[in-house]
Amino acid sequence: MKKLLLFFALLLGSLTLLCPPAFAETFTCLACHGTMKGKIRTDKGVFIEVNIDEGRFSKSVHGGMGCTTCHKTFKDNPHEVPKGDVAKNIAEMASLISSKAKIDAVAYAACMECHGDDYKQVSESVHGRNIIEKKQHDGALCLDCHGSAHYIMPEKSGESMVNRWKIVETCGECHDKEEIAKKYNLGTHIIEKYEESFHGKKYKLGHPGVPTCVSCHGAHGIRKWDEPGSPVSWENRITTCGKCHPGANKKFVASITHKPTGKDNPIPYYAEKGLIILTMGTIAFVIFHVFLEALADIRDRVFRKKKEEHHD
Amino acid sequence: MTDTTTAEIQRFNLTFRIQHVILLVTFLLLAFTGWSLKYPEPALQHTGWWIRLWGGAKTAGVIHRVAGVIMIMDFVWHVIYVVTQLLTGKMKFDPVTTVVPVSSDIKNAVQNILYFIGLSDTKPKFGRFNYIQKFDYWAVFWGMAIIGLSGLVLAFPTKAAIFLPQWSANWIWEVFFVLHSDEALLAITYILIMHFYSEHLKWENFPMSMTWITGKLSMHHFKEEHPLEYELEAKENPGAFRNPGKS
Repeated sequence: MKKLLLFFALLLGSLTLLCPPAFAETFTCLACHGTMKGKIRTDKGVFIEVNIDEGRFSKSVHGGMGCTTCHKTFKDNPHEVPKGDVAKNIAEMASLISSKAKIDAVAYAACMECHGDDYKQVSESVHGRNIIEKKQHDGALCLDCHGSAHYIMPEKSGESMVNRWKIVETCGECHDKEEIAKKYNLGTHIIEKYEESFHGKKYKLGHPGVPTCVSCHGAHGIRKWDEPGSPVSWENRITTCGKCHPGANKKFVASITHKPTGKDNPIPYYAEKGLIILTMGTIAFVIFHVFLEALADIRDRVFRKKKEEHHD
Repeated sequence: MTDTTTAEIQRFNLTFRIQHVILLVTFLLLAFTGWSLKYPEPALQHTGWWIRLWGGAKTAGVIHRVAGVIMIMDFVWHVIYVVTQLLTGKMKFDPVTTVVPVSSDIKNAVQNILYFIGLSDTKPKFGRFNYIQKFDYWAVFWGMAIIGLSGLVLAFPTKAAIFLPQWSANWIWEVFFVLHSDEALLAITYILIMHFYSEHLKWENFPMSMTWITGKLSMHHFKEEHPLEYELEAKENPGAFRNPGKS
């Protein structure tokens, strides 16, 4: 019996060792931040959600991390300022992305501590430069695609915003919006045209090998399509399409543009109109013919029966 | 000639029947597997279970391509067969028995519709193929030219790209896509309405005309629906009607 007790004592002891040191601290923060209702108004007049769903957080990929791993410093102080300096590179990045990260820029920049390569790619991408250089606030940065850092799920999980069966919807959050397309001079109906294409149709049907947005355009390092570094620029498109379509040539890669058919591409537009007329016309004639024939057959069968019998 | 209820005449030989069976099987496979791709909207509740029924999007795609190639081969076989028959004199052109549209078809169509709506008391006299049957037959040629060709291009796009002219590259893919999809819909609706009415729902054929299996047509039906050919046969080959013919 004593031995058994000792065994359990050791087991429990080792469990506490396995727990990350941050656990206790997180537990303390969540004592308040796990029970808060409503939103809080910051100095700048922004309403922010400061409650954390503890269940979802602990299940997320960051569930084992402590709060102050990212939330290194607090300007608005109902809190004691956490000890420890903010590393120089993070502080720099925090000021670079301040147009985007209005609430806790340091926490937003802290992603780079672990995800350095990805962060570097993003900051050089069209999304990153939009924020860092052009100081915009509505372009994409980490959280716009991945969701709140508190609840990020593994990519393979269906709950992840960047899961392959969610990513089109996620990109569409911005790229399906007319005001974004107008502001940044982007193509309209991008998502719609993708969904109408063979790729998009197969996507909807759950084809396992179907390309999503990121398969062709890249993810973190994304460029505007006509920049030389973009995988879908004319220089790189043959290689990019060739990943799935070996032997792709210049004429083949012209097949996908996401451009809406209309004035600048009149041939498919009018071909479709013509075919609709042809199809509808033929169907109308066929329905008309069969309808009349059926009525005449009934008439002959029912009302002119005697005549037929007479013939035989 | 006396027993018109049981006597039959040979209509389609075994080759034609096999060609028709291949056509119908591949047609149905293509229509069934292609349907989900044309209407993949998850809002349409059938899409999900329907594509799973065909083994998922990938398997359905393989079935669609294989069935398409077999259908094209069937079509090529048919054309070669008919041309050979014509060249060797086994099949002869005759305005009464030909499937080629002739001027009397237009006259017959007008007459037939007048009969349907009661403006005429006499049915037009048809030869071996009435105008609807000719339309049925040539619709396959149209389908092959449009759907078959665009299907090959879409199934083997990188190969097809080699043959496409550069100036067409910016619009031709979309045209092929629209052609394939729209004309397939036309083919499906045509078969569903016209062919199903003529061969399944029509009183004397209900629930199904057996001609596609036996290749034979009842003498009564022959006399009623194809009087010109009946007269021609009676004149040329009076003894043949007693003999159901060889397949």
